[in-house]
Amino acid sequence: MSEELASERAMIDEVVGDQPASWDIAGEIPIGLLRKLGADGVLCAQVPAAFGGLGRSSLHNGELTAHVGSRCSSLRSIMTSQGMAAWTVQRFGDRDQRRQYLTELTSGQLAAIAFSEPSAGSDLSAMRTEIGTDGDSVVLDGKKMWVTGARYADQLVVLGKHGDGASFLVVPTSAPGVLVETVADPLGCRAAGHAHIRFDNVRLPASCLLGGGGQGMQLLFTTALCYGRFSVAWGCVGIVRACLAAATEHARHRRQAGKPLADHQLIAGHLAELLVAEQVSTRVCEHASRCWDSASPDMVIAAVLAKHVSAGHAARSGSIAVQVLASAGAQDGHAVARAYRDAKLMEIIEGSNEICQLILAQHAMTIPPDRS
Amino acid sequence: MTSEQTMTAITAEAVEEALLSFLAERVKTAVEPDQDLFKSGLVSSMFAMQLVVHLEEQYDIAVIGPDLTLNNFRTVHAMTSLVLRLRNASDTAGNV
Repeated sequence: MSEELASERAMIDEVVGDQPASWDIAGEIPIGLLRKLGADGVLCAQVPAAFGGLGRSSLHNGELTAHVGSRCSSLRSIMTSQGMAAWTVQRFGDRDQRRQYLTELTSGQLAAIAFSEPSAGSDLSAMRTEIGTDGDSVVLDGKKMWVTGARYADQLVVLGKHGDGASFLVVPTSAPGVLVETVADPLGCRAAGHAHIRFDNVRLPASCLLGGGGQGMQLLFTTALCYGRFSVAWGCVGIVRACLAAATEHARHRRQAGKPLADHQLIAGHLAELLVAEQVSTRVCEHASRCWDSASPDMVIAAVLAKHVSAGHAARSGSIAVQVLASAGAQDGHAVARAYRDAKLMEIIEGSNEICQLILAQHAMTIPPDRS
Repeated sequence: MTSEQTMTAITAEAVEEALLSFLAERVKTAVEPDQDLFKSGLVSSMFAMQLVVHLEEQYDIAVIGPDLTLNNFRTVHAMTSLVLRLRNASDTAGNV
């Protein structure tokens, strides 16, 4: 492990401490803590140093994301949102926008990115949110759902239809006409600040359109989501690691019929499964990040594969860990109880299991026989 | 291959030829330089992003902001002129 990574992990552990259990129960992370981590640059660690970021590689940021994910998936979700918003600005923003927004996002401002709508998830053609042009202004109308981190956000990066194409619009949550409504009692990542948002005739300067707007909906969506898939995939590695740590710890100390649980063969089977899950999901994420860091075109599919594999392992690992800990882990707030609930959501967001399978199947059909 | 290409001037013919062979390898079909890749169903938006990454890596360019539109990736011709334009821009203005 590099010195930088070790010190970032130590800093996060010090700030986070043993609070994730209480955050889960309260459904909230103190916003001051999020701003501090944002100002330290760790919420979007791949932002280049030229914009005030840490300039970390995907592999480095991935390990950092896994570490946060092993402590608290709600906090890791905030990291995913901030990172996606920053990546989207970096990719689509013009020179001035990159400078302004990326500096803000590494100085303690918080951002969320809004895609899903009441009747549009992966089906982009059903998207209704609309950006209209009116002279030097743009006007935003629509509804977005389940926007991770929106409750804490200063800025929202909103995807909407715009003319013949689509645009990302950067919307301050304080703008008139923006209504943020926190989702009550989500199944998992309970402190991640999910919210539904209504935009009612929100008028902003056209300079808030990333890169002038009017790009293709698919390309905007796929590009932004690609970062999110990396982040969720690595976050799932963290969930699996937390499950492995909790299960082995419990199996070492808890005795049944005169010997530690680990010496009971059925429990040992569970522990082996957790180790396999940790290794497999780590390797598939490392591969994806190496693709990103070497700018390989394979990174797009590698991200989908990593997300799909890791989310599946995280969901199974959460279930296994609760099984091993039994009553010791069967209470809200406990690391394995959180893993169990949080991981299930990971099979849904940033491309559900089924959407990932569709993409992977489509890819499989393009592989020449001698490469498969 | 990349370093050689960045060292010497790049011609439209060379970019076009390299793109045609990249596409032939990836989508297993011979494509025409002016064929609409999206309309013909050969290429998805997922693959469009792979093309972005490929061109950036291969020609040492950054495709960002307003240039990230599907129209720039619709045909081999369109991608070729994008590459040449961005290469020229970075030669004269620096590339941030």
